[in-house]
Amino acid sequence: MTCGRGVEPEGEVMGRRSFLARCAAVLGAAIAAVLGSTGLSYFISPAFKKDEEDWVDVGGTKDIRPGAPVKVDFVARKRDAWAVTEKRSSAWVATKDGREFTAFDPRCTHLGCPYRWDQAKEQFLCPCHAAIFDAGGAVVSGPPPRPLDRYDAKVVNGRLLIQPIPRRRAA
Amino acid sequence: MSPWHEEYRRRYARLKGAGKSFFPHAVFKDALVAFLIFAALSLLAWKFGAGLESLADPTDATYNPRPEWYFLFLFQALKAFPGSLESVAAVVLPGAAVLGLLLLPLIDRGPERHPFDRPLLTGLGILGLIVVGSLTVAGLRSPLVNPIEEKDPLVAAGRRVYQDMNCAYCHKIRGKGGVVGPELDKVVGGESVEWLEKHFRDPKSVVPGSAMPQLHLLDDEIAALAAYMKSIGDEPFTKEAPRLFSEHCAACHKIGREGGESGPDLSLIGSARDKAALKRAIADPTSLNPAAAMPAFKDQLTDVQIEDLARYLSSLGR
Amino acid sequence: MKNALILARDWIVERTGFDRVWEVLFERHVPEAKGPAAWLYTLGSASLFVFLVQVVTGSLLAMNYVPSPDHAYDSVRFIGEKVLCGSFIRGLHHWGASFMVVLVVAHMLRIYFMGSYKYPREGTWMVGVVLLLLVVGLGFTGYLLPWDQKAYWATAVGTNIAEQTPFIGPLVAKVLKGSSELGAATLPRFYALHVLVLPAAMLLGLGVHLFLVVWHGISEPPERARRPGEAP
Repeated sequence: MTCGRGVEPEGEVMGRRSFLARCAAVLGAAIAAVLGSTGLSYFISPAFKKDEEDWVDVGGTKDIRPGAPVKVDFVARKRDAWAVTEKRSSAWVATKDGREFTAFDPRCTHLGCPYRWDQAKEQFLCPCHAAIFDAGGAVVSGPPPRPLDRYDAKVVNGRLLIQPIPRRRAA
Repeated sequence: MSPWHEEYRRRYARLKGAGKSFFPHAVFKDALVAFLIFAALSLLAWKFGAGLESLADPTDATYNPRPEWYFLFLFQALKAFPGSLESVAAVVLPGAAVLGLLLLPLIDRGPERHPFDRPLLTGLGILGLIVVGSLTVAGLRSPLVNPIEEKDPLVAAGRRVYQDMNCAYCHKIRGKGGVVGPELDKVVGGESVEWLEKHFRDPKSVVPGSAMPQLHLLDDEIAALAAYMKSIGDEPFTKEAPRLFSEHCAACHKIGREGGESGPDLSLIGSARDKAALKRAIADPTSLNPAAAMPAFKDQLTDVQIEDLARYLSSLGR
Repeated sequence: MKNALILARDWIVERTGFDRVWEVLFERHVPEAKGPAAWLYTLGSASLFVFLVQVVTGSLLAMNYVPSPDHAYDSVRFIGEKVLCGSFIRGLHHWGASFMVVLVVAHMLRIYFMGSYKYPREGTWMVGVVLLLLVVGLGFTGYLLPWDQKAYWATAVGTNIAEQTPFIGPLVAKVLKGSSELGAATLPRFYALHVLVLPAAMLLGLGVHLFLVVWHGISEPPERARRPGEAP
């Protein structure tokens, strides 16, 4: 043990004093280092957490025909830290060829009103300020600042999966 | 003021003057002890963590309740007092001890400080330590009344999903629940885990026209629910099983009217123990209850036979 | 650089009188204890140290804990499985609780057997007994919080013991549980006691206890009493 016994002769009182003080400081620093580093990791751990990809199964793709976008309702069940939350939500799903699918956020990019598909005009119509989008989500007329927001979508084993996080597209 | 108080103050002032400064001499000792304590704490925290058993279940009748170890002496003391005197052990004695401690400096007011100069209090202290210490040891050693059942955490999680999703609104397990869907313990036994998981993801994908709604469960919830279903389902046993029972078990155990009486009656055992617990009990009963009188069968029966026997027993009384 | 440090220190000293505080707290003299008995004098500060560890780890745990039967268990599991160093921090808090009880009791035994509670330190002792009760209370209320089987049943046993109190037992148990059943009303009650009421009382008591320790000075190791007529 290097700290326990005084190595200085009796006369050098100040030497032994500062030696003990230094030992105490080193021991204290060691404790603070372990508690501090683990405590800090604990505190900042949300910063290291990756957002998980939550693909939601919204059903089969058979019912979605080219040229006729369909509104699908789904429940996104998600783990939020220790709780599980359930959110009802919907999307407009369109396809050109029956293989590639596009999912639109169901809110108009102007003020968030719920738009609908008009099969006769083959356009999306927003009831609030008469905005019009085409089948690809681009603005045809009206006040919206950008095309319809999209959700990431993919097809796995004939089932359509979407990730209900709106992705903006440039005007 | 007692005459010795003045003298004590003078003597203490002299001793204090001759003593050393708190910093760094005492501080160093304190720091070293704190460091050793923290090292021990860290080691325990790192090696053993804090542990977490399954979710609190107020309806569980098989758990062995135990208080935290530093209350164990009190818990153990309760056993020594019969019903009407229980409050003495539980509240009166501890209360008196605390009051005694609180008022100690007002009771013992003389100048004597050395333990040998206060034989009564020193003896009382040692006696108290021995009593509390031996009660604690006795509490730690006291046998558990209920056998320790190791529950599969996945099955426990599955049971929670079953409750949270309100499955019992439509389904029955062991005769409890709704009548819309099938009785689960009767039907799930034969299905594979893969089939169950597919079914929970989208019931119509494996049972066309199923009236069961899609539950939108998370992957881990689906796995847990499947494990729970596997744990409740009756699994078929062979004709061999009842024969094994009459050959190896009936000397001590009864089913219905047949069998011996030195061991517990097993006619309804399936309602109290699941298959996994029964398998362990057959293979080696001391793993559940160290004091069990029943012999271990793991060397006399094959694993397949034990499984068969456990399936048979778990079907009884359901 | 060094000059700047000295300047900064002087600035603080001039405005806070910190040098006087340091002198009173740390440069005070302590009667010398010889041999292994000297180490018994570290038990008090060791208890204080573990209390501080409990404060730090407890504050961190509180960031992820929900005192409701619906979420308590899951949030504790979340700490153990998903938070960086979560199981270590929770482990420190768990073992720290046991260490705290052991150290505080050992500290009390030292005072008891050395007769250090005598004049003029009677008040220090009495506050110390209250602090011991607070530690036991913190252990009892904290044990329920994970809301697992062990927690639930240990608390059920504990509240049943309280129910044995003559005359007022059922009332005491009901107040403790917040309802006649151990459940949704109990958990937030125990949590508030565990993180607000008892620690606040603890800090107050510690303040008084430490003040008295410094005010009266640490007691000297006991000597055998002199018989009348014996030379001093």
